[in-house]
Amino acid sequence: MTVASTASGLLAMLQEQQPQLKKYALHNLNSLADSFWHEISASISTIESFYEDEYFEQRELAALVASKVFYYLGEHNDSLTYALGANSLFDVLEDSDYVRTLVAKCLDQYIALRKTREGEGATAIDPRLVAIVERMLDKCMQDRKYQQAIGMALDSQRLDKLQEAIRKSENVPGMLAYCFRLARTHVDKREFRQEVLRLIVNQHQGLHSPDYLTVCQCLMFLNDPQTVANILDKLIKGDKIEALLAYQIAFDLFENENQLFLLNVRDRLPEARAGSSSGGGENTETTEQNGMMDVSTSAEAATNVEDSQDNIYVDRMGKLKGILSGETPINLTLQFLYSRNKSDLLILKTIKHSVETRNSVCHSATIYSNALMHAGTTVDTFLRDNLDWLSRATNWAKFSATAGLGVIHRGHLQQGRSLMAPYLPQDGGTGGGSPYSEGGALYALGLIHANHGEGIKSFLLESLRKTNNEVIQHGACLGLGLAALGTADDEIYEDIKHVLYTDSAIAGEAAGIAMGLLMVGSASDKAGEMLTYAHDTQHEKIIRGLALGIALVVYGREEEADTLIEQMTRDQDPILRYGGMYALALAYRGTSNNSAIRRLLHFAVSDVSDDVRRAAVLALGFVLCSDPTQTPKIVSLLSESYNAHVRYGAAMAVGISCAGTASSEAISLLEPLTSDAVDFVRQGALMAMAMVLMQATEAREPHVSVFRRQLDKIVSDKHEDTMSKMGAILAYGILDAGGRNVTISLQSRTGHDRVMAVVGMAVFTQFWYWYPLTYFVSLSFAPTAFIGLNHELRMPKFDIISDAKPALFAYPAPTAPPSVNVNIKLPTAVLSTSGRSKSKAKKDTDAKTKAEKQPDTSSQMDESSSGKEAAKDGSEAMEVDSAVEKKAVNPEATSEVLSNPARVIPLQEKYVRFPEGCRYAPVKRTPAGFVMLRDLEPSEPVELVSTDSPASPAPAGGANGAPAAAPIPMGGVDLEPAPPEPFVYVP
Amino acid sequence: MDSGNSKVLEAQRLYGRLETSIFARNFDSARAFLNQLKVKLTEFSGLPPLYRHTSTQVEELKLARSILEQAVLLSVGTEDQESFELHFLQLKPYYTDTRHLIPPSNFEYIMLGLNLLRLLVQNRIAEFHTELELLSPEALKNDCIKIVVELEQALMEGAYNHVLRSRKVPHDSYNYFINLLAKTVRDEIAGCSEKAYDFLTLDDAKTIFKFTRDQDLMTYISEEHPDWEIRNRCVYFQKVKDFSLCKEIPSLQLINQTLGYARELERIV
Repeated sequence: MTVASTASGLLAMLQEQQPQLKKYALHNLNSLADSFWHEISASISTIESFYEDEYFEQRELAALVASKVFYYLGEHNDSLTYALGANSLFDVLEDSDYVRTLVAKCLDQYIALRKTREGEGATAIDPRLVAIVERMLDKCMQDRKYQQAIGMALDSQRLDKLQEAIRKSENVPGMLAYCFRLARTHVDKREFRQEVLRLIVNQHQGLHSPDYLTVCQCLMFLNDPQTVANILDKLIKGDKIEALLAYQIAFDLFENENQLFLLNVRDRLPEARAGSSSGGGENTETTEQNGMMDVSTSAEAATNVEDSQDNIYVDRMGKLKGILSGETPINLTLQFLYSRNKSDLLILKTIKHSVETRNSVCHSATIYSNALMHAGTTVDTFLRDNLDWLSRATNWAKFSATAGLGVIHRGHLQQGRSLMAPYLPQDGGTGGGSPYSEGGALYALGLIHANHGEGIKSFLLESLRKTNNEVIQHGACLGLGLAALGTADDEIYEDIKHVLYTDSAIAGEAAGIAMGLLMVGSASDKAGEMLTYAHDTQHEKIIRGLALGIALVVYGREEEADTLIEQMTRDQDPILRYGGMYALALAYRGTSNNSAIRRLLHFAVSDVSDDVRRAAVLALGFVLCSDPTQTPKIVSLLSESYNAHVRYGAAMAVGISCAGTASSEAISLLEPLTSDAVDFVRQGALMAMAMVLMQATEAREPHVSVFRRQLDKIVSDKHEDTMSKMGAILAYGILDAGGRNVTISLQSRTGHDRVMAVVGMAVFTQFWYWYPLTYFVSLSFAPTAFIGLNHELRMPKFDIISDAKPALFAYPAPTAPPSVNVNIKLPTAVLSTSGRSKSKAKKDTDAKTKAEKQPDTSSQMDESSSGKEAAKDGSEAMEVDSAVEKKAVNPEATSEVLSNPARVIPLQEKYVRFPEGCRYAPVKRTPAGFVMLRDLEPSEPVELVSTDSPASPAPAGGANGAPAAAPIPMGGVDLEPAPPEPFVYVP
Repeated sequence: MDSGNSKVLEAQRLYGRLETSIFARNFDSARAFLNQLKVKLTEFSGLPPLYRHTSTQVEELKLARSILEQAVLLSVGTEDQESFELHFLQLKPYYTDTRHLIPPSNFEYIMLGLNLLRLLVQNRIAEFHTELELLSPEALKNDCIKIVVELEQALMEGAYNHVLRSRKVPHDSYNYFINLLAKTVRDEIAGCSEKAYDFLTLDDAKTIFKFTRDQDLMTYISEEHPDWEIRNRCVYFQKVKDFSLCKEIPSLQLINQTLGYARELERIV
């Protein structure tokens, strides 16, 4: 085969006069350009001039040749310009490097143009560019590469093409799900994301059987409660399965913790009045008052007596509203946390013994730690056992000690108020208790009702109005903020603002934070008002409170918040810049937005104030919380900074974003920091490490045991700094939080950010300035539970299978003297009340005698043996139930059987499945959280899990120590110093 | 293939007319024929760069080569250097890439030599040598090529008399370029003479400029150098001589610099 050795002849032909010859030459050059571009490049100007000659009929061919030559010369921009000039001659379907590169370039440019368009529409995009992109998109669709088409359409913000791609694909629901995932994770711009979600919703509604779970998620992002309400209403009017779906949707919505939205949905649901309207009304009433137990029984009765359609509807509506208002799920969570509480009192005891009693910081830290360990479990045994010791807490320590009860009883909605009653301000002003415990109690009420404060709001508001004491105001403000989180209630706002304007440092700080909590994510113009006041006031505390408050207001608003952020970050006051960092963190939480990261990194290395730099690094943790693997990479350099504050920030950032992941990168980054030269860095690193290692087992991450030993050493070391000691004590609390049944997760299972968790984490990081804010971390605790519910919202007895070694996800072994042979407990064990009371009694005696280790051991043995008994029961049930092998005792087992409700930690979720031939089938796929179950054998009698709820009064209370009956005295003697005279701050 | 054949035949007929009109030095009609032919050539697929194997490929190649050779000769005839280059570039692939398809052409060395000569005249010495390197040893022995190579050497040496003396050309078409070359050389000589002498006698000038007749010298002077004055059978160059040109060489500085470089180099090594 003869091959041309040069293109010079053709190039010479370009100089000819006749157009036919030029055309001939160009045509041949086009086909030879790949091998002779270097020769052609010498005559590129001739070819360019052909293209520019408007009368030359082969302009496009000339452009194509020029484009190819420029491509080979590496001038991709010129190449693209000429390729565009070649119009249809540029064949996107051609399979060559040249075409591929240019098409990619084309897409990039188009996407960039679409993104900078920003509404003004001044710069119209080259129609030829559009044509190429569209040709490409059409090609994808022809090739049935719909996912690519969707990705491209999303990137280039082309809703029309997106819609086309989805509609053309064979698997519309699958594509919609894919699109939904992309929209959440990859679309940076909030506005466009909303448009996409709107589109997804519309597409879904056009389907024969829409995926209501996704639709409602979308609608939640779009903040469209009316449509959700309509869907739910429609579903509960349908058959049983649709009703289950409705419940499931409600549970999923609940998981995202958007209080305002949930309330709006609930209020938009039609009032459940049917044939027996009064009965329906009562029904809902009872729901509000007595929780789900009563509802279901009354509902059962209702269905049994008259099976009319109306009554079913009323009943279902009641249940639905119960879920939406948060009562049902909170109750179930509370039950779960209470019954599965595995907290290790021995740890607390060791801490208590090792810290000096005179050191109030460590003393309060121990109280905090206890509160966190028992968060939401309602188990306050430790406090009851150590009343004397507890009474050493005075003043603000007393405030926190009282507030700690709120954390422990978190979610105890029914009895919260009666529990706290002894500490609450009495009607006759502040006559009774100390203002510190009263303030603390109000704060505690807020914590109990956090994000579900419908019932308690008015009481807190009342208390706030009645008092002039700044400590009580402080507590009430925090409580109100928590209870009314994100409701943007104007009445409450005005009252809190009133407190703010008294210009008292302590109350003002809380007021600032509370305003933020109240207005979370509303981006209301109240932020401007707060900023003005922050400039007016002289109190640093108030400025800081307001700065954080403003940051909370712009929560999740992304670009919308940029003006405000810019304003704050350019402020002269470092505290406001500090707030600006938090504003960035919260506005862009979990988005991994590049511009936000860039800005934060800029401040992290360039700001003059240490506080701002620390906050900037820390904020990275929030921005990256959706992508935990990125954070250690991004902050790894910062963690070696010479500046201790930056190191601290880096540690916390890793802790926040990698919480509960036990990722080895995070651990190796934090490890050197836990033995840093600076005390507060150690403190931060210890706490961050605890967050990362939450619920990690030794089998999965051997560092856990090392870390526990390290904590042990720090706590017991006499010469250790108070700061790091405090860090270690709190780290214990975080590590074993919520009876070892919770993890910190800033995102819900559906991938959306949990508002309350992120907010809680942000306020928690303020403990640097104000210890009582430590409790906010409890807001970010998410129970790692699998709770299966049938159509009556009750837990039937059944098993699920986890296809992983039990040791990987087991509870950590209880601490015990090394001589004791620790039995591996069966995770299915349900502690019977008797077993609990027995061990409890033992521990009581332990505390009294304070004999060193001997009784502890016996109690441990006792507990484990009782556990074994329970295990035996469980396994018997298993054998009856199915033919699954009994294997839990064997440590080498590759799977284990969990019974409903089960502890399923996030990393375990992928191993969990429903066994074959199971009586129940789940409505949604992820086996975690609340899962509605479809009963496949409805005729069989239903066996329910016996609920031992802490809410049930007399019998359980006897074992539990009847919380309402015997209040824990908070600091019997009040050695309160006289408050200093008011003074004028002279800077 | 019949259509291909008929096309070739038609082109061959046209080619015949082209040849005769060039031979008759009827350049205008030749140019018209050539243009028609070139368009016809674009329809032949056996030609470079496609080289499709067709039944008429050999014919096509031969014909195209002859046409382009004639085109080059035509350019020389019309003294059009640009079109010469154009056509030669188109012709070249036929010499380089088609050796195994068609027998070599009679004109090949003439064409190559002409091209070299052209490059020499246009003072594109680099390209001249590039082309030279590409030639085979046999080609170099050929008279057509040899004469050009010798001319180049003479030019480079400054042996102008040698250049002006060579008058025996292998092909008529060479005359055009040789004459151009001679003129170039005379210009060079004139330039040197201006610098070297204040005046020359006409006889001396005649020898230096290699003119055989006084008449030629006079025409040359009046055409190219009207500022020269002829008095008393002498040529006065009257060039204002520029004496201030020679500046002192900054020798000391240069020495220092060179030593410095040497030292640096040593240090690097």
